[in-house]
Amino acid sequence: MDELITYAENTWCPGCGNFGILTAFTQAIERLEADGLARKDLAIVAGIGQHGKIFDYLKLNGFYALHGRSLATAQGMKLANPGLKIVVFVGDGDSYGEGVAHLVFAAKRNADLTVIVHNNGAYGLTTGQVTPTSRKGFRGPSTPRGSIEEPFNPLSLMLASGATFVARGYPVKLNHLTDLFVWAVQHEGFSVVDVLQPCVTFNNTYELYNNSVTELKVTPETFEDSMAAARRTDRLLIGVIRDVSAEPHHRQLLGDRRPAEDRRAGSDRMAAIRKTFG
Amino acid sequence: MSTDGRFTFIVAGEAGHGVRRAGNVAADLCSGMGRYVFQMDDYQSLIRGGHNFSVITSAPQPVLSQFLRADLVVALDKRSVGLHRDHLSTDGTLVYNSDAVSDAPEGAVGLPLSSLAKDYPRPDLRLGVASIVVLLVATGFSRDEAADFIRRQYARDVENNVKYGLSVYDAAVQILQGRYHLARGDAPATMLAGNEAIALGAYAGGLDMYFAYPMTPSSSILHFLAARSEDLGVVTVHPESEVAVMNMAVGAASVGARAAVGSSGGGFALMEEGFSLAGMSETPVLCILSSRPGPSTGVPTYTAQGDLGFALNQGHGEFPRIVASPGSIGEAYELAAELMGLAWAFQTPAILLTEKHLSESRMTVQLPSDLPEIPEPLMHEGSAAEYRRYENTESGVSPLRFPPSDALIKWTSYEHDESGITTEAADIIAMMQEKRLRKRKGLIEKLRRMRTVNRYGSSRNVVVTYGSTAMSVREAVAIGKLDVQVVQPVYLEPFPEWEFEQLSGSGVIVVEQSCEAQLAALLKHRTGVSVRNSITQYDGRPFDPEELAARLKEVLANG
Ligand SMILES: Cc1ncc(C[n+]2csc(CCOP(=O)(O)OP(=O)(O)O)c2C)c(N)n1
Ligand code: SF4
Repeated sequence: MDELITYAENTWCPGCGNFGILTAFTQAIERLEADGLARKDLAIVAGIGQHGKIFDYLKLNGFYALHGRSLATAQGMKLANPGLKIVVFVGDGDSYGEGVAHLVFAAKRNADLTVIVHNNGAYGLTTGQVTPTSRKGFRGPSTPRGSIEEPFNPLSLMLASGATFVARGYPVKLNHLTDLFVWAVQHEGFSVVDVLQPCVTFNNTYELYNNSVTELKVTPETFEDSMAAARRTDRLLIGVIRDVSAEPHHRQLLGDRRPAEDRRAGSDRMAAIRKTFG
Repeated sequence: MSTDGRFTFIVAGEAGHGVRRAGNVAADLCSGMGRYVFQMDDYQSLIRGGHNFSVITSAPQPVLSQFLRADLVVALDKRSVGLHRDHLSTDGTLVYNSDAVSDAPEGAVGLPLSSLAKDYPRPDLRLGVASIVVLLVATGFSRDEAADFIRRQYARDVENNVKYGLSVYDAAVQILQGRYHLARGDAPATMLAGNEAIALGAYAGGLDMYFAYPMTPSSSILHFLAARSEDLGVVTVHPESEVAVMNMAVGAASVGARAAVGSSGGGFALMEEGFSLAGMSETPVLCILSSRPGPSTGVPTYTAQGDLGFALNQGHGEFPRIVASPGSIGEAYELAAELMGLAWAFQTPAILLTEKHLSESRMTVQLPSDLPEIPEPLMHEGSAAEYRRYENTESGVSPLRFPPSDALIKWTSYEHDESGITTEAADIIAMMQEKRLRKRKGLIEKLRRMRTVNRYGSSRNVVVTYGSTAMSVREAVAIGKLDVQVVQPVYLEPFPEWEFEQLSGSGVIVVEQSCEAQLAALLKHRTGVSVRNSITQYDGRPFDPEELAARLKEVLANG
C-alpha cells in the first residue's frame, strides 16, 4: 500500500470514514493489479471536497477537477483515451448536488467509469452544510433551524438513470467495500458505489449505520427488485444492488478508436479537406 | 447593376418557403459562373412564419459583403414586398408572388407563384424553387438550362420541382428574359460558411474532438463536424450542457487529444469556470465564441460585437489566455489552425471570437493548399521517474506527458506544486502564479514574430476595426473609393500594442458593432492612439457597405 501513497500530508480528521475508503481502494488496486491491471492504464479523477483530497494522497495519474464537474472531465478523458480505466471520487454535495446532471447523464449513456461517492450527508470541506442526502431536520451553518427538505435516495436516482452497476458500501465493512470496488472497476460500463461515509465532525453516523447496515448477499435480478432494495429503510442494504451488462458509451461512439493515440497525420488531414472542398 | 458588374439578388419570404435553401442555390449558381460571392442569410429564430431573406452579392472581382440595395428581389409574401421595395438599385426589379400581394409598387413584376404550385405536394416549400427560376430567367438561362439546373439542385421530388420550375419559367420569360448579364469571372470555386472554415481550420490545426451544446450562431460548427466525423476522423460530442462541454474538453486534452468547444454568449458564460480550470491546470483548449446581440438570450440569429470585453476577461483569476478574431472567412480557417497551435504551445486556453455575420455568412474562399505551420507541443523526454507535470521552467511551459505512462502525471484545479499536488505554501503559490504568467511573455515574443494586424491601404486616414466588421469596412472603402487605411487587429489578447506605436498620438476612426464601442475603449486603454470618431451599429444587422461608406465619408469630411 505504501508505494501507492504520495508525500502529501493527510489532513482528514482521525476516525473519518474516508480512511476506510482509501484503504479499501488501495487493497482493491492491489487485487486488480494481481489480476493483470497495469497501473499506467489507471487514472483517477476527483471532485472538490474532503473526498477529493484522496487525489493528492494517491500516487496515481489523473485530474483533480472542479467541484461537481469531475464526471464530465472523466468522460472527456475516457473518450479521448478509452484504454484508460478511470475511477472518479466524488462527494455527495459535489455529485448529488452541484454536478448531479453529469452523474445522471454518465449513467444514462453508460460511460465506462467507476464512481465512488463519499456520501457523508454533509459538506465536509465547507464546514458541514446540508447536502441532498442529509436527513430532514439536519442542522448545519446554512440550516441552523434544521433542513426543511427531504433527502433523495441516490441509489434509486442512479437506477432510474440507467446505471448498469449500482452498489452501496460501508467503510467499517472494509473487506466487503474492497470487494465492491474491485467488482465496480471490473464492470464494463457505468458503475457507482455509494459509500456510507461517517463524518465524525459534522455528521457522525457510525452508531446509526452500525445498527442498520445489512449485507445483501444476492444481487437482485430485476430492475424492480433492485429498486426495492435501494429503497429499503428498515435496514440499509450494502452490496451490489444492480449488475447488468450493456455496450459502453465509448465503444458505441468510437468502436476501437483511441482519439488521443490514433491522431491523424497532417497530410491526411489536408487530403480530407481537399476531398471535401477542392 | 453597378458598373463593375456587381449583382445582388434577394430572395425573401416566410420560414417554410425554402428561402435559405434558395439562397444557397443562388449563391452556388453565381459561384459556378466563376464569380466571387458573398451570401448573408437574415432569418429569425423560428421554424415557420416570420420573415426571412437571403442576400447574394456576386461580382467578377472579390466581394466582402452583402449589399442591401438589390438588383433583383423575389418577394414570396406580402411582408417581403414592404421590406424590400425601397432597396432596389436604379435598374433593379422587384418580382413578387401575385397570389400573396395585391398592392405591389409600380414597375414590379407579379407572377402567380402560389397558384402555379398548388397542384404539387408541399406547395409552400416550392416557392424557393420559383425564386431560383426567376433568377435563371433574368440572367438569360434557356429553358433547358434552367430545367437542368433545377434538376441538379433540387433532387428531392425532382420531377415535380422541374415541372413547377418550368411553369414559372414560362410565366416569367416574356417579361424578364435576359434582363441582367452576369459576367463570368475566374474566382475559386469553393464557397464556405464562416463556421465551416473555422471547423476545417481547427481540423488542419490538429482537432481530434469537438464538444458543443447547440447555440446559434455557433451550432453549425457542431453540425458540420458531426456530419463529416467519419471522413475527417473528428469525434463530436453533444453532452448535457456547456458546463459538461468545457470540462469534457479539458479532460480530453489532458490525455493528449486536441479538443475544441464552441458556443454563443450564454453557453460560453456557462463554460467560464471550466475556462479558468484550463488556465490553472494549463490545459490547451480552443474555444469558439460566436456572438449574437446580448445580453442574456438576446437575439439568437442576428449579429453583434458586444462580447469583446467578455472574451478578453473570460475566466476568474489571473492566467494567460489568447483571444483573436478573424476578419474574413478565409482568415477564419487560418486563424483556427493557428490558435490551436498556440494553445498547445503555451498550454493555455485560446478564444476564437467571431460573430453571426462571419459564422453563418458564406463567401468565396481559396483555401491554402499547404498545411499551416503548427508548432509541436513541448513533450517531456527525460526519465519517467523524474517527471513533474508543472515543472517550473524558464519559459513557464512545462513539458507534457500523456498516459499510459510510468510517470506520475497529475493535472489539477487547485494551486499546486511542481508535481501537481495541492499547496497552500506562500512561496509555491507565488512561484506558480509567476510561472503561468511567464508564458504570456513568451506568447508576446511569439506574436511579435507573427502577423497580428492586417493593414489595407496606406492613407493617413486610419480606420480601425476587427472581426466580421472588417469585411464591411473594406467593402465600404472599396465602393466608396475612400482615401483610408484599414487597420484590423486580428489578435486582441495579448493585444499587439507594438503594431500601434506608429499611430500613437494620431486620431483614428473606429468602426464596430457594439453599443458601448468596446474596441475604441480597448484602443484607448492599450495604445497611445486616440479615437477621433467611433462608428457603431448595434441593431443586430451587419453594416451595409453603401450606408457605411456614406457614414465614413461624412466623418472624413469633418475630420
Ligand atoms: C463551484 C464551487 N462552488 C462551491 C465550492 C466550495 N465548496 C468546496 S467543497 C464544497 C462542498 C463539499 O461537500 P461534498 O461534495 O459533500 O464533499 P465533502 O467535503 O463532504 O467530502 C463546496 C461547496 C467550490 N469549490 N466550487
Ligand atoms: S470533516 Fe468530516 S469528512 Fe472531512 S475529514 Fe473530517 S470527518 Fe472526514
